[in-house]
Amino acid sequence: MSDTHPEIHERRILWTELLWAFGVGIFIAASLSMILFTALTRDVNPPSNVERIDPKTLHLSGEFAEQNLGTTVGSDGSVTVRAIATQFMFVPHCIAVPQGRRVTLRFASPDVIHGLLITGTNVNTMVVPGYVAQVHTEFRRTGDLLMPCHEFCGLGHSEMWATVQVISQSDFKPDADGRAVCAQR
Amino acid sequence: MPVDQPSAASDNLEVADEVTEPALAEVMRVVPLGAAVLAGSTVALLVLGYLAVYLLVFLPRGPVG
Repeated sequence: MSDTHPEIHERRILWTELLWAFGVGIFIAASLSMILFTALTRDVNPPSNVERIDPKTLHLSGEFAEQNLGTTVGSDGSVTVRAIATQFMFVPHCIAVPQGRRVTLRFASPDVIHGLLITGTNVNTMVVPGYVAQVHTEFRRTGDLLMPCHEFCGLGHSEMWATVQVISQSDFKPDADGRAVCAQR
Repeated sequence: MPVDQPSAASDNLEVADEVTEPALAEVMRVVPLGAAVLAGSTVALLVLGYLAVYLLVFLPRGPVG
């Protein structure tokens, strides 16, 4: 029976391994293409902002001074949120953002490493003292979203959370200075 | 077992199966196919799980960057 000759079997096993390697290669190429396609067409990228800030003085002046925290709508219509993550709270505790608009979230920490995510979205970043953590996103549904600290930062870590209030475009009305705050409920 | 008794593994006749070349070839004709089916279906399930999470959970959560 020529079909059972060892050389033929070795060739068949080699062929199987090559076929497997080809299949794995196809999968890797397909997933990389999918990631590249969504990055280019749907704005899905890993946050990659590297920006230094002095953690000892960030609350005294500049964009993370108390009066600048919260949501600001620029003259060009851009929406920027600035918040401080500190032991054991986010300041401000509630962040108002419009639905369906690109929002820039900027966070800084004056003390230890914190982290945050916003439930139901892909926003997920670390907040490292000395750096500004910046994430762009677009909130698709209105409602209150939980934003907990997800990096253990001390004994009060479990109490450290904030609310992101996503407001419809028609209800999102910043004041004359371009500041927007959460609606009282 | 007495300590001076040699291990059965020291004697090939005790541990090695007597397999002829044609019999081995006959087994090897089927085994790679079964391994490929098992590995293929397992990896396919993993890939489907990845795709389901990517397409049904990750992308609907909106842009990020």
